[in-house]
Amino acid sequence: MLRRQKHTQSGLAELDMTPMIDVVFQLIIFFIVTINLEQVYKEDIILEEGRHAPLVKEEPTTMVIEVDRHGWLSMHGAQVSPPQLKSIVRRRYNYMGEFPVLIRADYRTKHADVRTVMDICSEIGLWRLSFAAIKEQKTGRRR
Amino acid sequence: MSKYKKRNRGEAAKLEMTPMIDVVFQLLIFFIVTLKQHDILSKLDVSRPAPDPAPPPVQPENLLTITVYKDGYVLKGRQVTLSELDRQLTSIAQYNKNVSVVIKCMGDSPHAFLVRLLDTCAKIGLKNMAVFSM
Repeated sequence: MLRRQKHTQSGLAELDMTPMIDVVFQLIIFFIVTINLEQVYKEDIILEEGRHAPLVKEEPTTMVIEVDRHGWLSMHGAQVSPPQLKSIVRRRYNYMGEFPVLIRADYRTKHADVRTVMDICSEIGLWRLSFAAIKEQKTGRRR
Repeated sequence: MSKYKKRNRGEAAKLEMTPMIDVVFQLLIFFIVTLKQHDILSKLDVSRPAPDPAPPPVQPENLLTITVYKDGYVLKGRQVTLSELDRQLTSIAQYNKNVSVVIKCMGDSPHAFLVRLLDTCAKIGLKNMAVFSM
């Protein structure tokens, strides 16, 4: 009893910082990991090199459409069919007018499959399109 | 008993550094393992020909047509390699930078051919590229 009294009488309660710091670091990890979720691109698309073209500007309005080597279309890693893509592009065009379109197509893709995307865009009214290429290779993937 | 007293009288709470350093190292390992570098991308702008019934007249000397087949390029009816195309386009661009390049792309040609051609045009400094799909 005497012991307990003495303990509470002392000036400061000892604050254990360790779990607090642990939680803060966990939070930091969480935010760093989740912040890039929006920019998920398909991993198996290998782009052709284009060293002389200007850099891709990270504009939030840019719509990135991916075409893999088999001709499957996708956006942010999720596969879409041509009619689905068309309705997505049309809805966006109706909402915000013209916006930049970047086509990330695999170097092995047949032009006919890239054409599908180009036709959808031009049908809706987007005449200016861009193709993505690799300016500087940072990953180990080689063709 | 006397031991307890002594601890409570200490001025500042002692901060245990070991678990903190442990966590920092864990973090460091986590980031090193998960760090994924992305390629730096470039963009090749093209325009799609609009289905305009009356397109603005283009002088034929300002128009250059290149056809992309699945096995190569054709310029003025002759099959050419990319380096030949590079040389010819460079010499054309020397006296006429405003030349419009019309690229006719066959459906079975690989996308890489189109990108290489567009990159060559970007290197030379040609700005007006239109892609027709055949």
